[in-house]
Amino acid sequence: MQIFTLFAIFLSVCLMAIAKRTQALVIAFRIQSFFLFLMTLLLAIEDGNIDLYIIAGLLLVLKVVAIPIFLLRISKRLKASENIGLFINSQLSLIALLVIMYISWYFSKMIFAYDGAAQIAMIAASLTTALCGVFIMIFRMTALTQIIGLLAVENGLFLLASTVSGGMPFIVEIAVFFDVFVSVIIMGIFVYRINKLFTHIDVDKLTLLKG
Amino acid sequence: MQIFIVLAIPILLAIYALVDNSAKRIGITNALGYALMLFFSVTLFADRHIGTSHISFFDFIYLDALSVFFIFVISIIAFAAALYSISYICSDLQSALITQKKAKLYYLFFNLFCFSMFLVPSVNNLGMMWVAIEMTTLISAFLVGFYNTKLSVEAAWKYIVICSLGIIFALLGTILFSYAYSVLGESKSLNWTELYFAATRLDKNIIKVAFIFIMVGYGTKAGLAPMHTWLPDAHSQAVSPASALLSGVLLKTALYGILRFSIILNKSVGPEFVSHLFILFGMMSIAVAAGFVLVQKDLKRLLAYSSIEHIGIISVGLGLGGVFGLFGALMHIFNHAAAKAMMFFGAGNIVKAYKEHNMNSIRGVAKIMPFTGVMTLIGLFALSGFPPLAIFLSEISIAIAAFSHASYILGIVFLALLAIVFSAMIRDFSKMIFGNVPSGMKKVHEPFGVKSAMLLLFLQIALFSFFLPWIFKDNFWAAIKLLQGA
Repeated sequence: MQIFTLFAIFLSVCLMAIAKRTQALVIAFRIQSFFLFLMTLLLAIEDGNIDLYIIAGLLLVLKVVAIPIFLLRISKRLKASENIGLFINSQLSLIALLVIMYISWYFSKMIFAYDGAAQIAMIAASLTTALCGVFIMIFRMTALTQIIGLLAVENGLFLLASTVSGGMPFIVEIAVFFDVFVSVIIMGIFVYRINKLFTHIDVDKLTLLKG
Repeated sequence: MQIFIVLAIPILLAIYALVDNSAKRIGITNALGYALMLFFSVTLFADRHIGTSHISFFDFIYLDALSVFFIFVISIIAFAAALYSISYICSDLQSALITQKKAKLYYLFFNLFCFSMFLVPSVNNLGMMWVAIEMTTLISAFLVGFYNTKLSVEAAWKYIVICSLGIIFALLGTILFSYAYSVLGESKSLNWTELYFAATRLDKNIIKVAFIFIMVGYGTKAGLAPMHTWLPDAHSQAVSPASALLSGVLLKTALYGILRFSIILNKSVGPEFVSHLFILFGMMSIAVAAGFVLVQKDLKRLLAYSSIEHIGIISVGLGLGGVFGLFGALMHIFNHAAAKAMMFFGAGNIVKAYKEHNMNSIRGVAKIMPFTGVMTLIGLFALSGFPPLAIFLSEISIAIAAFSHASYILGIVFLALLAIVFSAMIRDFSKMIFGNVPSGMKKVHEPFGVKSAMLLLFLQIALFSFFLPWIFKDNFWAAIKLLQGA
């Protein structure tokens, strides 16, 4: 079952890399978060740990429901944001993703002392998710996609933390969730402001400040 | 016990800013609140005598010589900024730049920002520290984008995106630390105290990799080159009192994050690894800043680049280590905070009077605003390390550390770069402060709040920072011992 969720997460990463419209990207993020939730729930059932149930619940409420709805609403209101301005087209992005996967695999074999291939694959998947988020932040230049990229990085690190050390301490996990939620809302406010002042949200055209 | 008062004061003031309707009354209450806070943080500072003494409430709060030093620095600058804010916000209100509601929001964010900065040095859990540092970014983004102009919103967006992305690498580093701890077979924990006691047993390779992530992550927030790109934008567009807080202390709280991890590494793998990284990033920052200071046209951006330079100086001091290097770095943290805050206050007054950021059209400040002119001049000398003032002491101490380690080339390059920045800053500011007054400019009234804030900082640079190491001698020794990982 764990392997199944792992493949699903991989799939969502690929979906994110090839998405051409904001809505598609948000939906890919939602799929990713859903499988993260599923995995945490499975862990919770296995472990019988009440903390994990709470974390899984928070994942469902925040990352699968609340944040995607919020992002979809923004993208609907700002009609300019349909296309996400690919700096690198979908095919090349997939190739880049392949390179990212190999780097993650190599890195996780180098650092972590696990014997099982499944463990290493999990770590590689989480690093791939995070790096793919960075990739999206750099090569998809609208303000909204940068938010989604940041969320994907966060998802990847959540997966990494729960794989390597059984999750961060409970209070930290909750605080990080809260933090992510607040940051999405604040960044959302700034997206509205950018749209109002510049009449677009293309970050690569924000070039007033130099030197 | 005082730490709870220190943490409670900004929260109470934030609530008060929501309730009251007069911006002036909120401002004055704010300043009084931070005066009280300064008092408590001084008692906190005086309390910690020996290196081993610390208090922790349910393991959540942890204070030692290093953290009380940072709390002390933050509270001085916060008090000065609160004093300065009173008349700054009032005059913005009078010239209808902002509305009454916006002024209330300013004080709300100001206090929340201070709260999150105070939280960073007082928590024990490294994960919570990460959250606190991320909160400082999120809240101060509003202070950067405060005027809601194209420039300030662009700066705020870059600030929030680059810092959030950078700091997420620090989270990755923190997770790797928690992994290194969890393979020891103990219960999962991110408490600094527990990691510190287990330091020698942690896997050396993993924490080395983790520390590189930490350095890059928190280094982004601290403004170390080459991750500094957000800094000049954000610091030049923020409200002036907030610029003082950003440059003076926010950068140092991120540095504090790095220091907490570097202590663990010093204990575990020895000082060499950390010190090379600190020197590398530090020298790069000084060099990059020197280049940009030479060609800068914008007054506040000039000061922002100077902040990058000073963060570089502090890193070099931390990297060189030894008593001279660490003493110099700690003193420089305090001195730079005071001098830079004073310069930003001066720059705030100048920009307000001339309605202009461009240094080529600002002339004759000394004639239009005598007090600001004189104070800016003193601040300039202090900032660039002129002998009788405090920064000279810390810079020379770092230079001595370089030469006494027989790193002659490093020492010479370090001093040469400082000389470049020194001459460039003197060139720009002497034109602005003296020079002929542009036609049509009248003498500008300088309110009491502004004067007292600048005087306070002047006293810090001119007198207090010399006596500080002697008054709190034990505390400084304890902090230096701690940084050496002893």
